[in-house]
Amino acid sequence: MDFPTGHTPSINNLRRLKDKGFESPRKSVIGYVELTIFPTVVNLNRIKLNSKQCRIYRVRVNDLEAPFIYNDPTLEVCHHESKQRNLNYFSSAYTAAVSAVDPDAGHGELVIKVPSELWKQGDDLKALKVYIEFSLDQPKGGLHFVVPDVEGTMAERGAHVFSFGYQNSTRFWFPCVDSYSELCTWKLEFTVDAAMVAVSCGDLVETIYTHDMRKKTFHYVLPIPTAAPNISLAVGPFEILVDPYMHEVTHFCLPQLLPLLKHSMSYLHEIFEFYEEILTCRYPYSCFKTVFVDEAYVQVSSCASMSIFSTNLLHSAMIIDQTPQTRRCLAQALAQQFFGCFISRMSWADEWVLKGISGYIYGLYLKKTFGVNEYRHWIKEELDRIVEYELQMGGVLLHPTFGGGKEKDNPTPHLHFSIRHPHTLSWDYYKMFQCKAHLVMRLIENRISMEFMLQVFNKLLSLASTASSQKYQSHMWSQMLLSTHAFLKSISNVSGKDIGPLIKQWVDQSTVVKFFGSFAFNRKRNVLELEIRQDYTSPGTQKYVGPIKVTVQELDGSFNHMLQIEENSLKHDIPCHSKSRRNKKKKIPLMNGEEVDMDLSAMDADSPLLWIRIDPDMSILRKVEFEQADFMWQYQLRYERDVVAQEEAISALEKFPTPPSRLALTDILEQEQCFYKVRMQACFCLAKIANSMMSTWQGPPAMKSLFTRMFCCKSCPNIVKTNNFINFQSYFLQKTMPVAMALLRDVQNLCPKDVLNFILDLIKYNDNRKNKFSDNFYRAELIEALTNALTPAISINNEVRTVDNLNAEVRLILEEITRFLNMEKLLPSFRNTITVSCLRAIRQLQKNGHIPSDPSLFKSYAEYGHFVDVRIAALYALVDYTRVERSSAELQWLLNMVQNDPAPYISRHRILGMLCQNPPFTKTADSALCNEALVDELWKLMNSGTSHDWRLRCDAVNLYYTLFGLTRPSCLPLPELGLVLNLKEKKAVLNPTIKPELGGGTVIDTPASIGIHGQLPNTRNPCSTTYNKEDIDMETVHDSQAFIHHHLNLLERPSTPGGSNTCLHVLRMACVLHYRRSQTNKH
Amino acid sequence: GSKAASTPAENYHLARRRTLQVVVSALLTESGFESAEKAAVETLTEMMQSYITEIGRCAKAYCEHTARSVPTLSDTLVTLIEMGFNVDTLPVYAKRSQRMVITAPPVTNAPVTPKALSAGQKRTHPAHIPGHFPEFPDPHTYIKTPTFREPVSDYQVVREKAATQRRDVERALTRFMAKTGETESLFKDDVTAFPLIAARPSAIPYLSALLPSELELQSLEETDSSEQDDQTDSENTAGNIITDDPGADKENSMLPPSGVAPSNKANEDNMIDNPYLRPVKKPKVRRKK
Repeated sequence: MDFPTGHTPSINNLRRLKDKGFESPRKSVIGYVELTIFPTVVNLNRIKLNSKQCRIYRVRVNDLEAPFIYNDPTLEVCHHESKQRNLNYFSSAYTAAVSAVDPDAGHGELVIKVPSELWKQGDDLKALKVYIEFSLDQPKGGLHFVVPDVEGTMAERGAHVFSFGYQNSTRFWFPCVDSYSELCTWKLEFTVDAAMVAVSCGDLVETIYTHDMRKKTFHYVLPIPTAAPNISLAVGPFEILVDPYMHEVTHFCLPQLLPLLKHSMSYLHEIFEFYEEILTCRYPYSCFKTVFVDEAYVQVSSCASMSIFSTNLLHSAMIIDQTPQTRRCLAQALAQQFFGCFISRMSWADEWVLKGISGYIYGLYLKKTFGVNEYRHWIKEELDRIVEYELQMGGVLLHPTFGGGKEKDNPTPHLHFSIRHPHTLSWDYYKMFQCKAHLVMRLIENRISMEFMLQVFNKLLSLASTASSQKYQSHMWSQMLLSTHAFLKSISNVSGKDIGPLIKQWVDQSTVVKFFGSFAFNRKRNVLELEIRQDYTSPGTQKYVGPIKVTVQELDGSFNHMLQIEENSLKHDIPCHSKSRRNKKKKIPLMNGEEVDMDLSAMDADSPLLWIRIDPDMSILRKVEFEQADFMWQYQLRYERDVVAQEEAISALEKFPTPPSRLALTDILEQEQCFYKVRMQACFCLAKIANSMMSTWQGPPAMKSLFTRMFCCKSCPNIVKTNNFINFQSYFLQKTMPVAMALLRDVQNLCPKDVLNFILDLIKYNDNRKNKFSDNFYRAELIEALTNALTPAISINNEVRTVDNLNAEVRLILEEITRFLNMEKLLPSFRNTITVSCLRAIRQLQKNGHIPSDPSLFKSYAEYGHFVDVRIAALYALVDYTRVERSSAELQWLLNMVQNDPAPYISRHRILGMLCQNPPFTKTADSALCNEALVDELWKLMNSGTSHDWRLRCDAVNLYYTLFGLTRPSCLPLPELGLVLNLKEKKAVLNPTIKPELGGGTVIDTPASIGIHGQLPNTRNPCSTTYNKEDIDMETVHDSQAFIHHHLNLLERPSTPGGSNTCLHVLRMACVLHYRRSQTNKH
Repeated sequence: GSKAASTPAENYHLARRRTLQVVVSALLTESGFESAEKAAVETLTEMMQSYITEIGRCAKAYCEHTARSVPTLSDTLVTLIEMGFNVDTLPVYAKRSQRMVITAPPVTNAPVTPKALSAGQKRTHPAHIPGHFPEFPDPHTYIKTPTFREPVSDYQVVREKAATQRRDVERALTRFMAKTGETESLFKDDVTAFPLIAARPSAIPYLSALLPSELELQSLEETDSSEQDDQTDSENTAGNIITDDPGADKENSMLPPSGVAPSNKANEDNMIDNPYLRPVKKPKVRRKK
């Protein structure tokens, strides 16, 4: 185990916390926290807690004033090092800074010295009560305030606030032990304006007016031991909906959205039933709350007994496309309630188990609700994603072990960030981590069967719920924490199977497998000679040894073969069952028992093989490149019933642009029993094939007659039927086909006139009056089709683009786009999908040189105050503009927005993400944009500008890496101190000005000192006396000096809540928020 | 004041009036007046005219009362008697010696009533109706005249028309909006070519993006209005009952739903015991701390 918490001398805290005031217009919170701590060791003289951003006014321990130090090394990662600009250095310093305050290792930003009068009491292991008064003013992280700028009271304006964060971020809004493994019970009190509702974890016991009757206090009690990161809060003038099926479930949404909430939540009870049934376990909390907020940090965030969602998930009954997405989000949130909130993780290294289980049961829900096809399609998608990521970026390690703490033991040297802490992870990596986790759970299921899997989950849950009902006892609550070890032990107890090798391969080790397959049929021996090679030298790959399943479809049926992949064997002989194909006119049995007639004329007459599949069940995390003849792919597409096989066949057929491929694809397109996503994929493949076959293509443009037959009027084939989307499969097909058709090109590499006119007609005759569903997604796709139809303009001498020299077809397209975009202002569509598509189209017009390239339109749509999807589309266009035009002004504009945007989460995070994906320049290429000022700005951004949001900081690191790489950016002048620092630095050179220090309060910013904590037995103790007394001494705290002095000043002159009246806002609605909590902490 | 008199009908009336004036003047002279003020003459003329008109009106009423269309002497007589006139004195008065003879008024054409707009052809009687029966009324009183052309029912044309019409309306509307408000342009050289209505940030952008537009909402309401109404109703009542009697609510919540009196089935929904629906408590007067 990485963190042997067993011998950690532990605080046992009963905490209580009260926020006195929370004033929305000022965006501030005042409160106090009270923790009851049970020492588990003698000599407890210091207590370390996590706290960021909070201004702490006073700390008392058992009613005695206690001195404290507040020092946050992550505020500024590297100091005294203004010239250092290399990412290696930063990453290690950042890891060290995060380690220095890691609650799992017993550290924290806030160090409280227990008054010496109480030492005696501590030695007797009696409870200590720690009382902390604090305030938060305009917090940048942890709590997000949404205050629309309109007339009216705060409630009328729909102002609200909610907690957010990536991993353990609760320390941003109140002092606590911000660890998933520190459980305690809670009492929470929030005082808010009488028009507001405060929603938080646990049961609402009562709501009481304050004496002036202008405010209310919400009292919550959470009797189930819960870790601080799983505590959250949302306050706003919410509309309340009690679930009609489950009265203990309450939904909250912003004003005016109640009808949408009713519709969107009408389905939730089915998800509840599903999980409770498969887990044979009741939902662990006594109530559940869903809150829908604007400007959400993530779509879904789950906390103990409540989930915070983005308000954009709400939809009316007329919206088709959003419905499955919203249901998926609800299902994810609920799965995390069981695994993630109720059962928490023992340590960061065990995160994968929880993410894996919640992802896995979510998958089961998908299978049940959306069907096996959808499920298998999803698994394939996820598998493709993880494989692509790992092959490109190197491995994703689920269960890292950190030996001795030496830098060279870094398990993931290929990454530019450390995976030691969740806070140093790149967001993409974390998403892939979750993806891999649930895929591995599925692999375990394949090994031990689903029944055992569910039994294991049930066992874990029942142990945890037994433990949760216990009063605080020394080790009982640890059942509520899940570790890799405990999980594996449970699996082996329940199933009796050894899954060690599987774990070793996919969990303890990163990377995926890459197979290349080819075959030959030996007619004499009637044997299939299969060759499976592996690439295990490229980054992100590993060597696979073990069983692999191969399915061969022969004339006489489908046969599974288990092959053993061994060290040196490449070839495998598989005997064939079908002797010959003499047996005429016999139906061919498929894998699923179905028997079908096939036209076998395309086959090789000597071979009985129809198609071959390697690892059809996706029981290895792999990429397979398999070679078989085109007719075999065509048979596979037509007759194999597994959607994964069909999708593989479609991607393979892209390489075979022949009439039979065309026919196979067209047949699939028409076949209504076929899974709609396969048919959609077939559209795009057909377009590609048609383009490759351009010279020999006969008949009307691909898909045109098909579309006409399916969706146009019988009497007038050029007019599309009035919309009726009651059949969702054909709706999705109707949406996709024009988009794919627009990709067709003629000999001049232009979109054929027929096709363009056809699409324009679709737009013209689109009639939704009789439809029960909204057609906004369909119209958006039609604009998408127009965009796809655009081809580069023929430009002569780089002339300036004017209206007059606009090509006639482009003029038609532009007219439609203008009209759509303008109509959207008058009749906005759901999620403004039309605007989003129009912006994309306009950027495409600019990029292709039809209209002048100009960012101003996008800038106006990117401003705060537009719907988030619109902003993202506009920002995407701007990022693209920045890259294409190499515009430093736009880059600067984007970076300013990253730093100043009021709705930071999606747009800020997304800007950095988009800049990484579509970078203005990269480390390999020189660019005029790459200059010292930019380096400094980005460095500052990640070093200190993003300290309020872990995720944003990692995004900044990613961007820095994308632009400059790991080493010192080449555009910088050589550092004065010489090159010593550059390459070997992380191993060889200690920063001479800083000596490694022990203890939580100090920041160790020399890379070499990482892991020293692990080597010393006592450093993990949050409250041991083995620290030198001088640790409290200011002199040894050599970083963030200014910050500490600032707080020392505060100490000398305790502020009062009313003392800081520097606000500029009018205090019309003082929404005082009170909360009070009691927390019993174990270890 | 003949200037205003321009139409033949008015001329006709004026001529008669003039004759009456002459008559009145003659009568005045007869009675020994040498001169009279114009206003007095006018007043007397007015009275005279009213009197004669009344005789005519009344006589016509009597004649119509007896189902005739032209008044007879007896009708006039009855009228005069009814008006309180001693008829017997009339022959004597008419034959008095000092009466003045007035020349007959100039013949003026009686006004022609304008012809009704002819519509269609006047129908003659069908064979089975005798000729003495009244003629058919004017055709316009019973003939249906179409005021629009036969609608085109061809599907293709209808769709074509609907599409064109919608597009025209949309284009006109958006152009108008663009002309009257702020715009953005895709071209630097010609800002009017493809005017885009300027993007205006809104304070609460999610509302317009998520809520269905009024147009869409209408059709939505048509489909499931009943269901929605039910829900809101039950909720409201639930809230009310709870506020009325918080104590009873708590007790009821302990009972299983089946424990509720079956007669009060509608109440089942009201038993929702959700902490967020409970009333907010008043602060205690005595502070704990």
